[in-house]
Amino acid sequence: MMLTILVRNELEKTWRSRWMVFAVLAGLFLLIAAGLYSFYVYHDHRWSPPPPVAWQTQLRSDIANNQSTLDNLQVVKQQAGTRGRTLFNGRALNDAEAQLHQAIAADQYLIDHDIAPLSAYSMTRAALFGFGGIVMFLLVRIFGWLASEQIAGERSDRTIAILLSRPPSREQVLLAKAIASFLISLAVVLVSFLVAYAIVAFIMGSLGPVTGQVGIAIDGSKPLNPDNLVTMPILLFLLMCIGAAMLAVLCVQGMSLLISVLTTRWAAIGITLAILFGASLLSGVVAGIISLIGSAQSAHFLNYAFFNVLAPVGSIAPVFGNGATEVGKGMHEFGSEVATLAVWTVGFFAAAWFFFRRREEAG
Amino acid sequence: MPAIVEVDHLTKNFGSVRALDDLSFSVAEGEVFGFLGPNGAGKTTTIRILLGLLRPDAGTARIGGHDCWNDHSRAAPLFGATLEQPGLYGYLSGRDNLRQFARIVGPVNERQITDLLALVGMTERADDKVKRYSMGMRQRLALAQALLGRPRLLVLDEPTNGLDPNGIHGLRLLLRRLASEQALTIFLSSHLLSEVEELCDRVVILHRGQVRAVGPLVELMNSKGYVYQIDVSDVDGALAIARSIDGVRAERGTPSDSITVFSDTDLARVINRALVTAGIEVDQLVRTQRGLEDIYIELTGVPSASPLSAPPSEVAVP
Repeated sequence: MMLTILVRNELEKTWRSRWMVFAVLAGLFLLIAAGLYSFYVYHDHRWSPPPPVAWQTQLRSDIANNQSTLDNLQVVKQQAGTRGRTLFNGRALNDAEAQLHQAIAADQYLIDHDIAPLSAYSMTRAALFGFGGIVMFLLVRIFGWLASEQIAGERSDRTIAILLSRPPSREQVLLAKAIASFLISLAVVLVSFLVAYAIVAFIMGSLGPVTGQVGIAIDGSKPLNPDNLVTMPILLFLLMCIGAAMLAVLCVQGMSLLISVLTTRWAAIGITLAILFGASLLSGVVAGIISLIGSAQSAHFLNYAFFNVLAPVGSIAPVFGNGATEVGKGMHEFGSEVATLAVWTVGFFAAAWFFFRRREEAG
Repeated sequence: MPAIVEVDHLTKNFGSVRALDDLSFSVAEGEVFGFLGPNGAGKTTTIRILLGLLRPDAGTARIGGHDCWNDHSRAAPLFGATLEQPGLYGYLSGRDNLRQFARIVGPVNERQITDLLALVGMTERADDKVKRYSMGMRQRLALAQALLGRPRLLVLDEPTNGLDPNGIHGLRLLLRRLASEQALTIFLSSHLLSEVEELCDRVVILHRGQVRAVGPLVELMNSKGYVYQIDVSDVDGALAIARSIDGVRAERGTPSDSITVFSDTDLARVINRALVTAGIEVDQLVRTQRGLEDIYIELTGVPSASPLSAPPSEVAVP
């Protein structure tokens, strides 16, 4: 009962103090939708959605396109033999050729076995775009910022003393703040998904089915076969994506709350945003240096850093394009990122709880 | 009356600075208790320990028999508190601030919130955002917040901070009313000695984390003796006579035809009789009890309003 009251209080405080952030987010969603629609009208010279295309037809078209690219590649390869060129679209010729062969084989396998890829339907594609793309990248950082103010803001406003002197325990206060942060972010994420779904459905010309099965590669680096493919209902896939995306949000909120417990408002916001924006960049530089010195495999340990796995949905399959498989994508990678996030999330919340219940508020 | 606040051998350090040094006192249920001391004496530290915000290094602080740190959830419903800087949500209205805290202190209905706003004189501005309030208005709203849930104990840290003279007068009347009508125990920390003298039944005077004096205000002032201002016809003769009486100290007074006499007990009649018997005419004898300010200065070494009240050697601690 007390927890419910505290959560209600936290929701009210967040809304009343930060409604402008949510208004800006809503405006941003509208702008993105309007921009995409304008581009569509300009590009396709039509105001209404295009006619829907069956996924089998789309895959056959992709096979034809990939075959054409492969033919071009053969020509480039022959020329490279005489001119010494070894790259095609920035990749080694043999790698590019192998990847195209694999993509064609994967598409053909899906057609032959009547298994729809994730790109087949509006809902699954919107899930990949909404939960694994740039939108989620930004949202996670905004949620981190908001959570970092939860306790540090009260400390800066001097309200923490009165709040903690009241009957609820510190554990209840912390838990209520975590739950309120999570509920707000869940609402925003679901709205952003609905916007993404509407946009994708418009582009694909159909809302698509909500029942039926989709196929996902287990290891995107290997050819599709019965041992390297998992099928699941569309709605289950959607739930899986929501769960993974919210786990990433929860992980960031755990980190932000930990920082919030230890500092004051501006320090908490600064440290949180520095980690969320700077750490993955720094990690990329470190990975580059390690790759130059040794092998890319040597930098693999960086995949255990939470800031490098904040978009696990993006690791299921390519967000854009029609590829069913890709190196570094698939359920295996997804599971690994989710497990990494889960461990960090538990660690962050445990540390926040540990420090908050012992911290003295000297004013 | 049983004690509602029990502070027993309380010690608290901030790094190398000892903020509280073996502090002990108690507050009986229903009394108005003054908590005095210069800046850095440890008043706010003690209050924060009582509120469960700081953990003592040694000793215990209890409210209603419950340890303020280890058993905070049982101690907390018994008191309401305001701090020197009122902690309120600036982006909420005064009424919404009270609603926020009302939900967590227990059954407080909308009518009670309206009554509290009226009690502290905030009805007209209740729906304005707190960030537009003056310091005095914030203090008043903080007091309403402290009174939510009908606490048995009211802990007030410098409640008149930022109030204008009318506000201070109004607050004194309100506190007196709360103490008499609702039998509320009031723990009042203040720099304003006149306020403490006017309101409190008992006081503790704190200096550098230690108790310098504790007890009923009347006894405390009586224990520190009496002062007489005597206008006489012969100052030198009167000084000689007065100094011959046991337990009396005398010096020249102001104006020049007067003497000032100090004694630990009330010797007005003895002094008067001695002077008259010696043929010295006494135009006027005024007996004054020593004020709280005199006692405060004597115990802490510095005037309360002086910049010296926080000596350079003493590091200010929260």
